[in-house]
Amino acid sequence: MKLTRAADVGLASCHTCSKVSPSKLGNCPRCGSPLHLRKVDSLNRTWALLVASAVLYVPAMSLPVMDIQGIGTAAFGGTVGGNTLIQGVITFWSSGSYFVAIIIFTASVVIPILKVAILVWLCLAASGKTKSSAKNHALLYHVTEAIGRWSMVDIFVVAIMVSLIQLGTLMTIRPGPAALSFAAVVILTMLAAMSFDPRLLWDRHLSQSNR
Amino acid sequence: MKIERHDHRLAWPRPENSDQVACKFCDTLQKAPNTLEGEAAYCLHCEGMLYQNRQRSLARATAYSSAALILMVVVHSFPFLSVTAASNRSELTLWAAAISLIDKGSPILGLGVILFTIIAPLGVALSLLYLAAPLRHGIALPGTTMVARWLEFFQPWSMLEVFLLGLIVSLMKLGEITEVYFGTGLWALGALVLCLAAALSGIDRRELWDRLEIAQQNHS
Repeated sequence: MKLTRAADVGLASCHTCSKVSPSKLGNCPRCGSPLHLRKVDSLNRTWALLVASAVLYVPAMSLPVMDIQGIGTAAFGGTVGGNTLIQGVITFWSSGSYFVAIIIFTASVVIPILKVAILVWLCLAASGKTKSSAKNHALLYHVTEAIGRWSMVDIFVVAIMVSLIQLGTLMTIRPGPAALSFAAVVILTMLAAMSFDPRLLWDRHLSQSNR
Repeated sequence: MKIERHDHRLAWPRPENSDQVACKFCDTLQKAPNTLEGEAAYCLHCEGMLYQNRQRSLARATAYSSAALILMVVVHSFPFLSVTAASNRSELTLWAAAISLIDKGSPILGLGVILFTIIAPLGVALSLLYLAAPLRHGIALPGTTMVARWLEFFQPWSMLEVFLLGLIVSLMKLGEITEVYFGTGLWALGALVLCLAAALSGIDRRELWDRLEIAQQNHS
């Protein structure tokens, strides 16, 4: 069965409302969004956002995420979580809070690294540098879209701690410099996933199998 | 043109020139099949889902988004948690969490938390209600195209379910060092997360746009 692809006949599926219209119209007749056959500059934008998030991941991991000050710091700090995200995970694990340790570790280490790795792999696949099936790629793309947002849990925990632990002059918790970098990592990886166009994987796949 | 009430079990009415669909994963152009309620259409080539016809879509989107708006009032009125330590009592609400970040020297982070937990969920619920409720009678209110685009814009940034997980984690952290009291807000937030998810998955985006297009044509 010979299947037609919309781009081959000059038809574009609107990014916003998914109506199929000729791309030469310029804007979608239904919702007014600009029409493109593929997301504009998809690979370059995704690469740029991935590099930026990888760079910001370094301060996010090495700097303190919470700045705990006051007389109770040593005792309290040990329980609330150490300075960096990783120290926090280790503190929770060794004090027996396995659930908290696993959630924080997943959100701050597993998901961001997995997500960047998958998107790098997909970008390489879309530019023809790796060989594996396009269907697996689609599955990987779904995974990155679904899991990315959950990393933000670290930031919300910081916000909740900062808001709840207000003991006046006794002790205060402030958001550390890593909090902003980590939030930026989460946002940038979400934007990277949004700017990646999964149709490029099939473009590559089909042009290779036609040869 | 008179708007005919549509049998809810059938495929939703299609606007003109809307008989084709291009798969968003593989871009295969195909005829858009009519689907009955509860059915979904899949791509001929890559088997990715094209769209689905959700049961009682408009009624559910309307009901769940109104419920979400009511629950938002409750969530903002009652604290999630309260902590008493060293005779200081502090209560946690969405505003308090965001404002304390701003007060303690991280305004950008605070604004981010406001966007993710207050503005985006409110934008999603309001815009969905504004679109879905009048559509039940085949009416598109002014500005629906813009509102429908806002809905698409806000949706990925609405992160209340992640905030709820953050609350659970914080509860376990704090529970070891001090006494923590749950408030009405926590239960309301749980219900709000479920209602928002049900409202968003209640209607397929293609169905929403198709119905909006028809309602706008009938209107003009």
